[in-house]
Amino acid sequence: MNWIGLFTIVRREISRMMRVPIQVFVAPWISALLFIFIFGFVVGGRIASIGGHRYLEFVLPGVLLMNIVNAAFLQSSSAIYFARFLHFIEETLVSPLSYVEMILGSLSTVVVRSVLTALGIMIIGLVFDATHIVSILGFLFWVVATSCIFGLLGIIIGLWAKSFEQLNVLTVFFITPLSMVGGVFNTVAMLPPWLRFLDYANPFFYFTNGLRGAMLGLDETPQGLGVGLTLVLLAVLGGTVWRLYSKGYGLRE
Amino acid sequence: MTVPALRISHLRKVYRRGTVAVDDISLTVPEGEFFGFLGPNGAGKSTTIHCTTGIAEPTAGKIEVFGIDVVKNYREARRMVGLCPQEFNVDVFATPRQIVDWMGGYFGMRAAARKERTDFLMERFELIPHQKKSFRELSGGLKRRVVLARALVNDPPLLILDEPTAGVDVELRRVLWRYLQEINKDGKTILLTSHYLEEVERLCRTIAIVNKGKVVREGAKEEIAGTDGLEDAYLKATGAEPDHVKG
Repeated sequence: MNWIGLFTIVRREISRMMRVPIQVFVAPWISALLFIFIFGFVVGGRIASIGGHRYLEFVLPGVLLMNIVNAAFLQSSSAIYFARFLHFIEETLVSPLSYVEMILGSLSTVVVRSVLTALGIMIIGLVFDATHIVSILGFLFWVVATSCIFGLLGIIIGLWAKSFEQLNVLTVFFITPLSMVGGVFNTVAMLPPWLRFLDYANPFFYFTNGLRGAMLGLDETPQGLGVGLTLVLLAVLGGTVWRLYSKGYGLRE
Repeated sequence: MTVPALRISHLRKVYRRGTVAVDDISLTVPEGEFFGFLGPNGAGKSTTIHCTTGIAEPTAGKIEVFGIDVVKNYREARRMVGLCPQEFNVDVFATPRQIVDWMGGYFGMRAAARKERTDFLMERFELIPHQKKSFRELSGGLKRRVVLARALVNDPPLLILDEPTAGVDVELRRVLWRYLQEINKDGKTILLTSHYLEEVERLCRTIAIVNKGKVVREGAKEEIAGTDGLEDAYLKATGAEPDHVKG
C-alpha cells in the first residue's frame, strides 16, 4: 500500500478545501443555524415533544445528515471533476498509485470534510442544548457510512459529468428532494397513511433514522434494517467506482 | 544484452470515436539515449507518450519500460518514468512548491526526501522567488520550469519530454538544453518530442519520425539528416513539400 501517496491525495484536497473555507464550512454551518432557528424555535415552539424530545432535538440529526450528505457529495464530485477539467488527474495516473489508493484517498478527504462540517453543527446544537449522543459507535458509523455513500456517488458523477451544469443534476433532482422528505422534519406517524411510502421507500429515511437513533435513541424502524441497507449500498457503489476506475472511465483516454 | 529503456512493440491506439491515432508503432530506445521523436501535429507522438505513461490505454501492442510491462506491472513501470507533458496539467491554484512536493508524495517519497529534492529542483530551475506564487500567476517560461521540475522529482531513469520548450524564450531554452545534456551525460535516458528541429539536431543522437500513426524513418541523427539536413529529411518523410525558398 502506498500510504504516502494516499495521504498526499488527502493533503492536496485539504489544501484545495482551505482555499474556499466560507463555501466549504461556513455556508453549511450558517444553513444549519437557520434550520435550527426556524424549525427549532419558530415552528418547533408550536409542536409537542416527539418521543420525549423537543422538536429542535428531533430535527437536529436530520439537519446534520443533510449537511453531511451535501459536504460528501460536493467534495468528491468537485474534486474529481475539477481535476479532470484542468487535467491534473493525470498527475495521479502517471504515478504508482493503485485504483484502490486513489479511491481511498478521495473517500478519506470526504470523511474529513463531513466530520468537520458535522462538528461545527454539533457545536451550534450544543449552544441550543440540542446535541445529544446516546451511542458514539452508532454515531460514528452513520457519519462515516453516509459520507462514504455520497462520496462514492460524487465520484461517479464527477467521472461522468462533462460540464459544471451536469455536476448539479444529482443534487437538484435526487439528493435535495429525497433528503427533505426523508423524515428530517417529521415522523412517519405525522404523515397520512397513503403518503407513508415516501419515507419507507426513501433511503434517506433510513439514514436519518439511524443517525437519530444514535443521537436520541429514537427509532422508527429497526436499526438493523438501516445498517443492512447502508452496507449493501456501500458495497454496490464501492464496486461500481472500482470498476469505473479500472476501466479508466472518465479518467484515461 | 542490456534491457532497453523503452521498447514499444506494435502499438495501436484507436479512440472511442474510431480515430486511429497510432497504427502499429514499434521502436526501441536504448538506455542512456537522447532520442528525438518527431512528427507533425496529430501524427501520434503524444498518444504514444500517453500510452507509455498511463494517461491513455493502448488498444493493442506492448510497451515496456526497462523490461517492465506498463499495463501489467503499471505501478513498477510508473516509478521509472518522469513525464513533462505538452499541456500544463496542473492545479493552477497550487504553488510550484506544492505541485512538485505532491508529485513526490504520489511516488511514495518520504517528507524529508521530498523536501530535499524539492529544494534542489526549485534552486536548479531558479524557481525560489516564485515557489509560493500560484501557478496561474507565472509566465509561460516559469510554468514550463515547474512541470519539468515535477517530472524530475522522483529522479526517474527515463524522462519523457513532450515539447518542453514550446513557448519558452531563447534564454531559458538554452538553460534547459544545457541541463538536459547534463542529466543525459549522467545516464538519464531522454525521449524528446519537439517541433524545433534545431533543438532535436543539437540534443538527440537517434531520431524516429512518425506520420499518420506510423514510424516512417528511424536511425542515427547523421544518417537521417544525410547531406540535405534534418529539415529536408523530415519534410520528405512526412510527405510535405520541401521549402525551395531558402535564404
